[in-house]
Amino acid sequence: MKTLGFGFLLLLAGASLVAQAADGNRPLLERGRYLALLADCQACHSAPGGQPFAGGYEIHTPMGPIVASNITPSLKYGIGSYSEAQFGAALRQGKRADGANLYPAMPYTAYRGITDEDIHALYAYFRQGVAPVEQAVPPTPLPFPFNWRPLMSAWNGLFLGPTVPPTEGAGKRLDQGRYLVDVLGHCGTCHTPRNALMAESDGSYLGGSAVAGWYAPNITSDLVSGIGTWSEDDLVHYLRTGHLEGKGQAAGGMAEAVSESLRHLDEGDLRAMASYLRTVPPIHDPRQSVQRSTFAGRPQPPTGLEPLLDRHPESLASSDVLDGSRLYNAACASCHQIDGAGTANQFYPSLTHNSATGDVQADSLVMAILQGVQRSTNSYRVAMPAFADQLDDGQVAALGNYVLQRFGNPALRISVEDVAESRAGGVQPLLIKALPYGAMLLMLVLLLAGGALGRHLWRGRSA
Amino acid sequence: MASEYDADVIVVGSGALGSNAAFELARQGRSVIILEAGEHIPRWKIVENFRTSPRKDNFNDPYPNQPWAMTSFTPGYIDNTGSFDLLPGMLKLVGGTTWHWGGATWRYLPNDMKLNSVYGVGRDWPIGYDELEPWYVRAEYALGVAGSDTDDQSGQGGAAFPPRSRPYPVPPEADTYYFQRLRDRIGSDYHFIHEPNARTNQPWDGRPACSGNNNCMPVCPIGALYCGEVHARHAVEAGARLLTNATAYRLETGPDKRIVAVHYRSSRGDDVRLTARYFVIAAHGLETPKLLLLSEVANSSDQVGRNLMDHSGIGLQFLADEPLWPGRGQIQQGGIFNWRDGEFRRRHAAIKHTPTNKVPNEAVTRRLLQAGVTSPELDRRIRHDSARWVDISTVFEMLPHAGNRVGFHPHRKDALGIPTLRVNYDVDDYVKAAREVALADYRVFVQRMGGEVVTDDTGWQNRDHLMGSVIMGHDPKDSVVNGECRCWDHSNLFLATTGVIPAAGVINPTLTGVALSLRIADTIAREI
Repeated sequence: MKTLGFGFLLLLAGASLVAQAADGNRPLLERGRYLALLADCQACHSAPGGQPFAGGYEIHTPMGPIVASNITPSLKYGIGSYSEAQFGAALRQGKRADGANLYPAMPYTAYRGITDEDIHALYAYFRQGVAPVEQAVPPTPLPFPFNWRPLMSAWNGLFLGPTVPPTEGAGKRLDQGRYLVDVLGHCGTCHTPRNALMAESDGSYLGGSAVAGWYAPNITSDLVSGIGTWSEDDLVHYLRTGHLEGKGQAAGGMAEAVSESLRHLDEGDLRAMASYLRTVPPIHDPRQSVQRSTFAGRPQPPTGLEPLLDRHPESLASSDVLDGSRLYNAACASCHQIDGAGTANQFYPSLTHNSATGDVQADSLVMAILQGVQRSTNSYRVAMPAFADQLDDGQVAALGNYVLQRFGNPALRISVEDVAESRAGGVQPLLIKALPYGAMLLMLVLLLAGGALGRHLWRGRSA
Repeated sequence: MASEYDADVIVVGSGALGSNAAFELARQGRSVIILEAGEHIPRWKIVENFRTSPRKDNFNDPYPNQPWAMTSFTPGYIDNTGSFDLLPGMLKLVGGTTWHWGGATWRYLPNDMKLNSVYGVGRDWPIGYDELEPWYVRAEYALGVAGSDTDDQSGQGGAAFPPRSRPYPVPPEADTYYFQRLRDRIGSDYHFIHEPNARTNQPWDGRPACSGNNNCMPVCPIGALYCGEVHARHAVEAGARLLTNATAYRLETGPDKRIVAVHYRSSRGDDVRLTARYFVIAAHGLETPKLLLLSEVANSSDQVGRNLMDHSGIGLQFLADEPLWPGRGQIQQGGIFNWRDGEFRRRHAAIKHTPTNKVPNEAVTRRLLQAGVTSPELDRRIRHDSARWVDISTVFEMLPHAGNRVGFHPHRKDALGIPTLRVNYDVDDYVKAAREVALADYRVFVQRMGGEVVTDDTGWQNRDHLMGSVIMGHDPKDSVVNGECRCWDHSNLFLATTGVIPAAGVINPTLTGVALSLRIADTIAREI
């Protein structure tokens, strides 16, 4: 009895220690969970329908698909064996625990600015707050030369600079906003165009960029090309819901960011992001003379909009029409309405006064038609159906051009080839178009550059 | 190594039932060919056909009615010889008739499936509710069914019933004002039950949420309403081959009574023989027995084409004494289920009353014009009557009778030279006895709503729920398929159609058909 009682007491003591430890840890774990949301880790490190952070999601890059890794604390398949220093190196330097390089699909060039304190909280969360998933992910099948990971050392030498110091004289709120936008939120990953070697170009910071077929627009403070006319409230509302009446709706990667990350953020953090974004130096696009959401559409008399059709069975079955107005009335008008004004409550948004129809490129319009829109907010879910299976490239071009002509920027034109390119995942950068001819040359250049940088650093150290 | 077969499994028909079976087999790695008599037409095209149609009340008008893929809407395609003209809605294109349906996705009750044992009438199913339940769940998740986890669907006002192993995938939609007012004023002793339905109200499997276009029939303009075309596409994505304009007209039997091949014809003049290990016929409740009869297979019981049942119905229309605004929201939301199950089933058919919530303007206007009402009175009356229009659609439970039957026409043929359909159908006394009960209910409904009757004597109406025509049973001597939907006569021939249902109940049978089809796919996958 006595022994049993003593053992029971010990057991109780042990249990209460664990409980205490867990209690003491709770704020840290909670902070880590929130930071993981901010950094949107889940968006890439969870496969659709898969378990959180178990990896397996294919990130489509111009180089080919990169498979996101399992970042649960599984010892065998995840990051269970990582020390905090190794965890920090993965996030900030793109280095795996085994010393291999990560691909910059992992936004370590942004994460390099994460503070030690936040690394500590994230580490605690990924060690203790995430359930281990004992499941391997398929290997990343990149073609040569990109499958040669040491290549990234040279790339890192060129592009993984030091962390950006806080802006001189900027207030705490702006600092916080910049940290959220540039570091954890890694907004530039999509919104800053990339140079010939796929690094973000410093001179075009947040100036708008093509991403996997979509166009991530200019979000600098420029009054015409950017979001200089958006108020802080507008920005907060958009970040939280991906929907701003008369301005635009988030689709593609931005819808993913809203659904997985932004909608969960504290009001204060969203406000800090918004106020910082409003200070980003304007970049004006000379192609643009009016703001992208100002196009009001051109009214058309209802007569002739919907003619009676031939009722012959073969005509009723034939779906090869290339008339944009007929395609619009049949495929789009049930929701966006025949005049493009959307529904009264704008749940089905207007195509007039819409960034997707009024920007300098129509990529996002084409992609929304092909892939639809899927977005979750905290109070409703948006689902525009995908039309990739229902319309061929010529029909998407005809439909898109009708929308641009009637509701958006009439100066834009979508070609059949544009649609084919979007369907295939977007414009290929020169780096890829040059493959395979330039592959060897490119590697040599990078190695030489890396070598030169190494010598430079060596001299710096010995001096 | 090249296979000696064209496919592991050939599925005839790409409707909700065939497509779900095909997808499940393809997903499980089996090679599948789907034969579809009609064509693959994108939704936007059907919507265009509807928008530009001058005949918006004709549910078939937006769909091509090709002479080589005739439907029930082709005059003369179904030749009726009985006292009732059975002319069910039927479409031939990829996705089948679920292009236009009400989306009702009920489960049968345990008692529905043992009607004879419990009430001494009709037939029992050879399988029980518990056996089918896991596939009901899978069917509901495939279709994204919105339903109530708390209603007593047997209509007795009790606890949640029938039992379910998983909640509905989508919660029920909000009640329309029309439904609320009818329930408030009629519902004291009539149990209004939410109707589980395949109009998802949140994004599901690439489909958007229903936005109340109120146009399930003839076509959902946004694809919120489930259509078999969804799983036809999924099947193709999973590796199945979908052959359109391919009407199966003969099943070929081998020496060991196994089916060895299916023959199909197209409007282009092809005449093709395809072989497979297994065959699933999912060609509609009338066309499936026709194909078996034409092929002289599966009929050692002489039951193929017999026992045909629809939920033959009647209707009531009246004008309520207050505006109810029918037509807002979903086309139907539920029904009155007091007569779904009970001892009365020994004497008369089960009954379901459904308040239909279709936009009534056309019916209202047609009636006023016929009565000679002209402007400006016409405008006023259209507004007045449309706001108060109540339409109750009632269905009855038929029993199987050998004389109610479908077969091929002795000499009429379609453009491919394939015989058309002949049907003999009479409404039975079991239903006629229930009609009197329903009419008594009608008088209560009208009285409680302060109503002015438009019509309470519609005569028998089609409800398009085809059952019994390839009946399922315990005994090879009096049924066509066993509890697995496998033909007694051919071990590799399965029938995926609501035509296997041996006891009709009063609920729309599509969900049960999909559940049985998924179960067929699992059975076949186990054997290949």
